[in-house]
Parts: sequence; C-alpha cells; structure tokens
Amino acid sequence: MVNKKKKTVSYIIMILVTLIVVFPLIWMLLLSFKSNAEILANPLSLPKSFNLDNYKNAFHTLNYVQLYANTFFVCVVSIIIELAITYFSSFVLSRMYFKNKKLRSLLYGFLILGLSVSPFILLFPVYKINVALHLREQLALIFPYVATSISFNTLLLTGYLKALPAEIDEAAIIDGCSLWDLMFRIILPMAKPVIATIVIFNVLYIWNEYPFASVMLRDVSDYTLSMGASFFKGTYTVDYGGIVASSVMIIIPELIFYGIFQKNIVEGMTAGAVKG
Amino acid sequence: MHWLSKKRYKIGLMLPTLIVYSVFIILPIIIAIYYSFTRYSGIGKARFAGLSNYARLLKDDVFWVSLKNTLIIFVLVFVLLMVLSFLLALLLNSKIKGTGFSKALIFSPAIIAPIIVGIIWVYILDPNVGIINNILDALNLGALKHKWIGGDVLSPYSISIIYLWQQLGYLTTIFVAGLKMIPEDVLEAVKIDGASSVQTVRFVIIPMMKTTISSTAILVITGVFKIFEIVQQTTGGGPNHLSETLVTYSYATTFTSSDYGYGMSLATITFLLSLIITGVYSFLTREKEGE
Repeated sequence: MVNKKKKTVSYIIMILVTLIVVFPLIWMLLLSFKSNAEILANPLSLPKSFNLDNYKNAFHTLNYVQLYANTFFVCVVSIIIELAITYFSSFVLSRMYFKNKKLRSLLYGFLILGLSVSPFILLFPVYKINVALHLREQLALIFPYVATSISFNTLLLTGYLKALPAEIDEAAIIDGCSLWDLMFRIILPMAKPVIATIVIFNVLYIWNEYPFASVMLRDVSDYTLSMGASFFKGTYTVDYGGIVASSVMIIIPELIFYGIFQKNIVEGMTAGAVKG
Repeated sequence: MHWLSKKRYKIGLMLPTLIVYSVFIILPIIIAIYYSFTRYSGIGKARFAGLSNYARLLKDDVFWVSLKNTLIIFVLVFVLLMVLSFLLALLLNSKIKGTGFSKALIFSPAIIAPIIVGIIWVYILDPNVGIINNILDALNLGALKHKWIGGDVLSPYSISIIYLWQQLGYLTTIFVAGLKMIPEDVLEAVKIDGASSVQTVRFVIIPMMKTTISSTAILVITGVFKIFEIVQQTTGGGPNHLSETLVTYSYATTFTSSDYGYGMSLATITFLLSLIITGVYSFLTREKEGE
C-alpha cells in the first residue's frame, strides 16, 4: 500500500518536471505562428491559425540556405581536421611505446588542460592571431573550433584506444603491417563508436557556438546559424515574430538530430564526467 | 609496438595537434595576459601600462556589480542544480515506467543553442510580452508582477533559473549514469539490513558516488563562468550594466567599447577566478576523501 502511494507520487513528480521542462519549447513553437502584433497585444492567446508569415518574413530577411550551408561547411571542415590530428596524437599517447612514462602523462595532461579554459579569454587574442595569419571568413572559425575540441577529443580517444588490447598491435606487426596500415586498416575501424560520439558531439558544439562566431564573422554572407538568431534584434526595434520563427528553424534540425543520435549525444556529453 | 614507436614517428604524429593547440589555446592565454598590462584601443600599438588596468578594476563599480551577479548566479546554480538533479536522478533511476521517455525530454534543453535558450525565456520572463506577468495579470495578481528581467534586482536570479532549466536534464543524466554503477547487491544488502531510503542515500549512495559528484561539481563551476548568451539575449547586461556578469562585462568592454587592455584584464581575472574556485573545490573534496 505504502509502496503504491510512493509510486504514484513518483509518477506525478516525474510528469510534472517533464512538463515544466518541455513547456518553454512548445510555447516557442506556438508563438512562431502568431503575428508580431498579436504577440505584443495579447501575449497569452493561442495562435488563431497556422499562420506562416513569420517564417516567410524570416526567409525574406535572411538567406537561410546560406546560413545552413555555411554552418555545414564549417562543421565538416573543422571535424575532419580535428579528427585527423587528434586521432594521430591520441594514437601516440595511448598505443605507442614511451621509454619515459612521465613524458607521456605530461603531454596528455597538457592537452587535457584545455577543458578548464573558458573561450572568453581566447576571443580577442584568437581574433588577433587570425588577422596575423590572414585567416578570414569561415576559416577564422575553423581553427578555433578545432583547437577548442582537442582536449575533449583527446580525453575520449585516448581512453577508448587504451582499452583495446595491445596484442592486436603485436599480431599486426608480426604479420608485416606498417604503422600506417595498423593505424588505418586495423585500429581505426575498431574506434568507430568513439569517433561517432566525437563527431556528433562536435556537430552540436559548432551548430550552437556563438561567442567565436560573433567576434570572427563580420559579413552577413559568412554567418553561421547561431548568428542568424540574433539578426532580428535591431537597436531600437525588435521583430518578435521573426526572432521566434528563426529560432524554431535553428532548433528543429537540432531536435531531430537529437532524436536520431540520442544515445551518442548523451554518451558524449556525460562521458567526461562519469569516468572522472 | 617497440619497433614502430620510433621517435620521429611519434613526433610527426603529435606535432599537428600540439601546434594547433599551442597557437590557438596556449598562445592566446599568454596574449590576453600581456594585453591586460597595456592600454590598447585597436589603433596603433598597445602601450605598456603596468598594473593600471587592475587598479582601475578595483575602483570600477560595474566590475563589482558583475562580480556580485556572477557570484549570485554561481551560488544559486551550484546549490539548486546539484541538489535538484541528484534528487531527480534518484527518481528517474527507480523502477517505474516511462523514465526513459522522461529522461530524453528533460535532457533536450541541453542540446539547444544557448542563444536560443535566452530567446525562449524572453517570451516567458519579459515584463511586457512574457507569460508570467500576463498570467499574473489575468489572475488579478498584478501586485506580484515584477521585472523578472531588465529590472534593477531580479535579473541574476532569473538568469540562474534559465541556466538551471537548461542544465537540469544534463546533470540528471550524469547522476543516473553514476547511480547505475553502484552494484545492485550492495543496495540489496543495505535493504536487508533494514536501512531507510534516506539512510541508504546518505550513507551508501552519496559516498559511493563521490567521484561522479565531484566531477559534476567541477562541470557546474566551469559552466557558470561560460554563461554568456543567456545574459546577452535577456538583458544585454542592462539596464545601466546592472545585470552584467564578469563574462558579459569583459566581452562588452573588449568588443563594444574597444577598450582592449581593460577588457583583457577583466577576462584574465574571470579566468583566474574560475580556476581558483575549481582548485579550492578539488582541494576541499580531496581532504574529505582522506578521512
């Protein structure tokens, strides 16, 4: 009897918390069908019809195809570069022989240190470095994104690669494998799950990233998605309808992405914390 | 592996990562600290100014306001987030139906762009177009209406709530993963010994989850010092810099006022403060583990 009561209370709390968390997202979706005037005059009313004017307006003001394309481009290039370089370095740190064990942990510690660096101290100096290296437009974002992912990728990759048995390497070498073959034909296929987690995690990171984008991108034609959201807020006027519609267009793909890759996303985001 | 672990291979494979990391993470920190000792408006050369930026900081009211706001957010978020997500994890780890679905939904705000999170909450907290004040009006409770954002007092508290909303599911999921690592038979044994649920949590579950709890705490600490878009979207640091946090103030000083030297001294202090709090926390929890 007591147990049943407890169960009912648990249910009620669970449903309540879930509703509270989800409500703002649903509210956002509903608002996007209301006109600017409706939002201002009658904030609590539900939309009268599926009015798509806000979306049409948003499409007129901003070139979303280009926003998506820019974001996609930055995502793909950054992730390819960061995966390549951190796979190499993590392979060295996790599977190669170090006579000096201290050097190995020193290098690992050095690369992990970045987890505690806030991007905000980096913004202006990285801007200066980009100017000095003539990195402009989207290129100005790619290297900062690669660099800020190194620590996380190293944590996940070395952890995973270390767990693969060392006998694999020995057997491969005896069979006459070169280092290159070993890295790409034997170990890489085995690392697929962790690479999937890293890719998905970084797609979200780049999709959502705003501070670097806001500093590095000057031209609207270079904007990534997160910049698009802030576009509707002028100095004196606020286009409420446009902001909501454009926000919905940014988060719908994210939520679909989350629906598909939920397992990897949750794994990637919680991996560091649980393993310690 | 000895044969293939030639020095030149190792160096060659490590080098790309080390170069990118040094140029875009380590070097920028050094540059930021360097600029924090200069006056620089973006035109011409930076002039060395010694400690004057740091002296100015001590006399700058906005700095103290943003420090105060940051600490309010830090304390509120830390306490509420750790406690609530732990309790929620205990609930969602129990054997009732629908926990998987509920977990998936509660986690979803964590994947949304922080800038959108800020926008979403404008429509809830805004004194004019937000739902809360309009509901209070509709219920004839106009007296309870407040400027949740954009007023003189409440902004940092509201920002804490928004951040709580965004992170709750994320931390809950981490705690659930930690709870799953406690062996079932331990909990069985405790139950047979007749421990109440409160006792079980206090004397068995919390001690066994120490590592998860402390790494989560560090995640929260570093996270709080990255709150930026939420403030920018909801209040923009205003009115009159009253809702500024350390991060938004250093950003505004650097990129809006082009006062780069001073902006970098603010950024440096913010970075140091988050490192110090993380360090102190790690130190304190390490002490306890030794008992």
